[in-house]
Amino acid sequence: MALLTNVLTQVFITLISVAGVYVLTGLTGMFSLGQAAFMAIGSYASGIFVVKLGMPLVPAIILAVLLAVVVGYLIGYPVVRLRRDYISLVTLGFGEAIAALLTRMTSLTGGASGFTGIPRRTTLAIAAVSAILAVALVAFFKSSKYGRQCIALRGDELAAKAMGINVIRVKMTAFLLSVALTAYSGCLYAFYMTYVDPNGFDWKKSADWVIMVFFGGVNSLTGSTLGAFILSALPQVLRGLQNYRYVIYAVLVLLIINFKPSGLLGEWELTPRNIKRTWNGLRAKLSGKAGKKEGH
Amino acid sequence: MSLQILLNGLATGSIYALIATGFALIFNVLKFSNFSHGATMTAAAFAAYFLVSANGAGLAATLAVAGIAGAAIALFGEFVGFRRITLNHSSSTYFFVSSITLGTLYEGLVTVKVGSNFYNFPRFFTNPTINLGDFVISTSDIMMFTISMVALIILAYVIQKTRLGRALRAVSFDRDTAQLMGIDSTRIIQLTFVISGVLAGIAGVFLGIKYTLYPTLGSLVVKGFIASVIGGLGSLTGAVIGAVLLGVVETILLSVLGSGYSTIATFAIMLVFLLLRPQGIAGSNVQEKA
Repeated sequence: MALLTNVLTQVFITLISVAGVYVLTGLTGMFSLGQAAFMAIGSYASGIFVVKLGMPLVPAIILAVLLAVVVGYLIGYPVVRLRRDYISLVTLGFGEAIAALLTRMTSLTGGASGFTGIPRRTTLAIAAVSAILAVALVAFFKSSKYGRQCIALRGDELAAKAMGINVIRVKMTAFLLSVALTAYSGCLYAFYMTYVDPNGFDWKKSADWVIMVFFGGVNSLTGSTLGAFILSALPQVLRGLQNYRYVIYAVLVLLIINFKPSGLLGEWELTPRNIKRTWNGLRAKLSGKAGKKEGH
Repeated sequence: MSLQILLNGLATGSIYALIATGFALIFNVLKFSNFSHGATMTAAAFAAYFLVSANGAGLAATLAVAGIAGAAIALFGEFVGFRRITLNHSSSTYFFVSSITLGTLYEGLVTVKVGSNFYNFPRFFTNPTINLGDFVISTSDIMMFTISMVALIILAYVIQKTRLGRALRAVSFDRDTAQLMGIDSTRIIQLTFVISGVLAGIAGVFLGIKYTLYPTLGSLVVKGFIASVIGGLGSLTGAVIGAVLLGVVETILLSVLGSGYSTIATFAIMLVFLLLRPQGIAGSNVQEKA
C-alpha cells in the first residue's frame, strides 16, 4: 500500500508537469528542453524559502512559481519572436546553465550533493487534487480563446498572424502557463521527496515529458494525460528493468511515430458527447456483426 | 598568458565547430534541429573505445572507427526515425520528437552497456605538451585543431565543388524540385546523415580525450547548438565562426569566472545575441513557412 501511494503521488506530480508541456507542445507546437529547469527553480526556491527563510508553505510556493514565471519571461522574451526551433535550443542551454548554477551556489543550494532537510508536506491527496486541477485548468485553457489561437498558430503561424492573432503574445502566454504549472509541480516534488539535487532536472527529464505527450496523442489532452500516467507508472512498476527503461520508452515512441503518428488516442477527448458517440459506434459495430452472422 | 588562453580557446572552438557543422548540415537539408546528435557522438566514441582503443590502437584507428560508427548510427537513425516522416512530409514537430527519442535510445543503450562509469582514452601522445617559445601547448589540442580544420576544409570542398555537394545544396534548397530534376533526394539525405555522423564520431573522440568518456558526454552538444544559434541556424560558415568565437570567449570566461558561472555567462551571451541579432552572424535566418 505504501508503495502504491508512493507511485501514485509521483505520477500525479509528473502529471502536473506534463499538463504544462501539453500546453506548450500539444497546443502551440513549441518544444522546451529546459522545462525541467523550471521544475528545479520551483523546488529549490520553495525549499529555500521554507527552510532557510522560515516562510509558511503556501506563500513560499506562490513566490517560487512567480519567480519561475519571471525567469520564464526573460528567457521567452527573445525566443517567442523567432522560429520555433529556437525555443528548444535556447531552453536546452538554459537547463544546462541552471544545473551549473545550482551546483555552483553551494552555500544556498547545497551544491552537487543536493539540498536536504525539506519537510514532507505533500500527501497523495494534495498531489491528486493538484493534478486534477491542473488538467482541468489546461482543458479550460484549450477551449478558451487563447487555446484555439494556440492551435491555429501551431498549424500555420503566418496564417494565424494574417487572421489577426497576436502570435508573439499567444506564444508567450502558453509558455508562461506551462512554466507556472511545471514550477508548481516542482514545489510539490520538493516537499514530497524532502531532498532535491541538481542532477534530476536535466534535458532528459524534459524530453521524457514531451515523449509522454506524444505517446498518448499530441492533439488530445486526454491522450497526453493517459500517456503520462502509463509512462510514468511503468518504470516504477518494472523496477528490475530500470536500466532498460529509456530503451523501452524510445522503442515505443519510435513505433508510434512511424505507424500511428497521432499517438494512442489521436484527437479523441474525454467529453460526454464523445463517450456517447464511441459507445454507440461500438454497439452498432457489435450488433452489425451479430446481424451478419445470423443472416449467413 | 592571454595568447595562451587564445590558443586553448581556438582548440576548444575547433571541436565545437565539428559539432556545430554536423548539426547545421542536417538542419540545412531537413530543416529541423537534430537532438540525437549528442548521443550519436557519445555512442560513436564509446564504440571506438571498446573496439580499438581498449586494445591499444592509436589515434588514427580510433578516429576512423569512431567516424564509421557515427556514420552507421546516423544512417540507422535516418532509416528508423526520419525516413517515413520525410516521405510523408510530416510537420517538423515529428522530426523533433523522433530526434530526441533517438537520442534517448542511444544514450539508454550506452548506459545499459557501461553503467554510469567513466572511461579514459589511453594516452595517444608520447609528449603531452609542446613548448613553443614561452607557450606551452598540449599536443592533443594541436592535433584536435589540425584534424578539425582539415575535416572542415574537406567538407567545404565537397559541398562547394563536387557534383554530390551541388546535389546536396539543391536538396536543401527544395527537396521536391530537386527530386523532379533527377536527384535521388533520399540518397542525398542519407549522405548528409553519413557526413554528419562522421563529424559526430570525430567530435565524440575529441571530447572523450579532452574530458573523459561517460554516457552523458553528449550533453556537450549544447555548445554546438549555441554556436549554431550565434552563427545563424543552418549556415555552415556561420556555425564555424560561431563555434570558434564561443570556444575563445568560453576559455576567457573560464579563466576569469571559473567553471560554474562561465556556463551561465555563455548562456546569457547567447540570449543577448538573439535579442540584438536573431539572424546570427551569417545572417541567414530560415523563416518558418513563406
